[in-house]
Amino acid sequence: MLAYATRKLLISIPVLFFATLVAFLLVATVDPIAEQRVFLLSQPGGAEQVARLEASLGLDKPLVERYGTWLGDLARGDMGSSTENGRAVTTLLGEAIPVTLRLVVAATVISVVFGVAVGVVSAVRKYSVFDNVSTFFAFLFFAMPVFWLGAVLKDLGIRFNDWWGRRIFFTIGEQSPRLDADFWGTWADRAGHIILPALTLILIQLAATSRFQRSAMLDVLESDYVRTARAKGVPRHRVVTRHALRNALLPVVSYTGLTFGTLIGGTVVTEVVFNWQGMGRLFLDSLLDGDVAVSQGWLLAVGVSVIAVNLLTDLVYGLLDPRVRHG
Amino acid sequence: MSTGGAVPSDPATGSATWQPDSTAILSVRDLKVDFVTDDGVVQAVRGVSWDVYEGEVLAIAGESGSGKSVSVLAAMGLLPPDARVSGSISHRGRELLGMPEKQLERLRGSAMSMVFQDPMTSLNPVMSVGDQIAEGARVHRKLRRKPARERAVELLDLVGIADAARRVDAYPHEFSGGMRQRAMIAMAIANDPDVLIADEPTTALDVTIQAQILDVLERARQAVDSALILITHDLGVVARTAHRLFVMYAGRTAETGMVDDVFEHPAHPYTAGLLAAIPRLDTPRGRRLIPIEGSPPSMLSPPPGCAFQPRCGRASDLCPKNPPPPLMLVSVPSHYSACHHPLTPLQTPIAEDSDV
Repeated sequence: MLAYATRKLLISIPVLFFATLVAFLLVATVDPIAEQRVFLLSQPGGAEQVARLEASLGLDKPLVERYGTWLGDLARGDMGSSTENGRAVTTLLGEAIPVTLRLVVAATVISVVFGVAVGVVSAVRKYSVFDNVSTFFAFLFFAMPVFWLGAVLKDLGIRFNDWWGRRIFFTIGEQSPRLDADFWGTWADRAGHIILPALTLILIQLAATSRFQRSAMLDVLESDYVRTARAKGVPRHRVVTRHALRNALLPVVSYTGLTFGTLIGGTVVTEVVFNWQGMGRLFLDSLLDGDVAVSQGWLLAVGVSVIAVNLLTDLVYGLLDPRVRHG
Repeated sequence: MSTGGAVPSDPATGSATWQPDSTAILSVRDLKVDFVTDDGVVQAVRGVSWDVYEGEVLAIAGESGSGKSVSVLAAMGLLPPDARVSGSISHRGRELLGMPEKQLERLRGSAMSMVFQDPMTSLNPVMSVGDQIAEGARVHRKLRRKPARERAVELLDLVGIADAARRVDAYPHEFSGGMRQRAMIAMAIANDPDVLIADEPTTALDVTIQAQILDVLERARQAVDSALILITHDLGVVARTAHRLFVMYAGRTAETGMVDDVFEHPAHPYTAGLLAAIPRLDTPRGRRLIPIEGSPPSMLSPPPGCAFQPRCGRASDLCPKNPPPPLMLVSVPSHYSACHHPLTPLQTPIAEDSDV
């Protein structure tokens, strides 16, 4: 297992390097001063001003040199600073990442746990009422766009609060501003804020995961080794948990790792719908402002998280499947 | 059922085989298995009866689709839920059909156990071989982890896995096909079954190791002193392994008897055809093997009368009209066949209520 983990870790290094290149080029190949350029060049003496602006942003240097400088700064922990507010990119990311992480981790953990459970029960009781109902809702939520489901849940949350006469579900922001509460009060406040956006991501993710788990489980239940286990007289519940489930988890683990990028996309949309000050908001603002350093830093941070999740997926896969571990 | 002496015999399907001094462990009577599919009802087994006696090796032979595997899967209770099973299957007098799943679980893997055809897919890829062998002992004998593991080592050693104490922790993918089948056999004898079923145990294996696996199977059988039902389409395997032979064709009995009797005087043209199609060392060089013309019928709509009649050189007008008569005594009392025009003279038809 150690050799397998080391190998996977080493493979991540070139991938990481490639991610820095993509994050840099995606942004650097776009002209950040396109609008000013058009305006300035129409003015007398504008060409000089453009040249000065380019020099101040380092745009006069060749792309390779700029990448080298960016990478060198990155190695020293300097990701540049925002052209809008002058704050360091590392500070901005440091504020946004914990907010988003909370949402992503909650959504992933809950959707995987429930998705696996629903999928297994659906497969074991194929065509039962439970199976049919969960199939219906899986397709319903899978077909829904994130922004729409988010808006619907937000609306339902507000109606519920009105009916209950007390604010249970918060629909704006990740925490109440100027909250003065003790430890538990702070947690309750955060929980009230996270429920609806997390639910938005969970429902969509759960729909896909449960379908995936169901079909994986159905395949495995018809396999020869499950028949062997039954022929040994292993009780049914033990056949399902000890023999079938562990094999049927493999495709779901791969799937969860692969769709992490999609989940980040869904998170950006959800954060905007619920006005969270997380990574989604940061990215959108940086794009609208043409804030080069922030965009690059954001892409790199997300790239690194995708690589990390895939590494984690590989490790879990290795733990579950000895063929991969030894291969 | 069989211990009482009077084995019920059914004139439509034939009766139990005659074996005076032994006790039947597994008795199948007028077993019928249908599968309802989108294309219609597949009549996989159409009324067969047989017994397995203590310590004997019974070979069930026939082509693919003749219903041989389905018969034993019915006995193990391992048919898919959409199979319609009727008739009777009893283990030491206890009826297995309709037995609650919990009770059947207690018999499976302890009193009756099974080795499957394909060792490459029949072992759980994510569980160590030792754990899979030990599991039977843990489930049935409530053994703890350590003694169960010791039992697994002992069994692996018995089936000829070298360095068993170390290999017990290996995973199936680290074993060759032959080693995996040895592990399957170890698994099957873990709880000293009294009947061991092997469903084409060598078919998926390399020819060079087939003989080894048959030897291991026989050694394992003797170690636990069980009966063996060997399902095969290979009469060469039958000749070297089995005491008694049961030939199935299109879900029915074609012929049954002691292996030597059947091989020397086959009564059913199908059995004779199978025997003519196997290569032998004692036939003159250059003589061609004689294949059986045609192919087995579709079990969605089996031919009327005798199912073998469309492929049979001896068929007469009688054959498509009437199903074969009840099994008849041939020259030897334990040798029966279901044919209108047998190759070996038949003696008396079995009386409807004969005591066997």
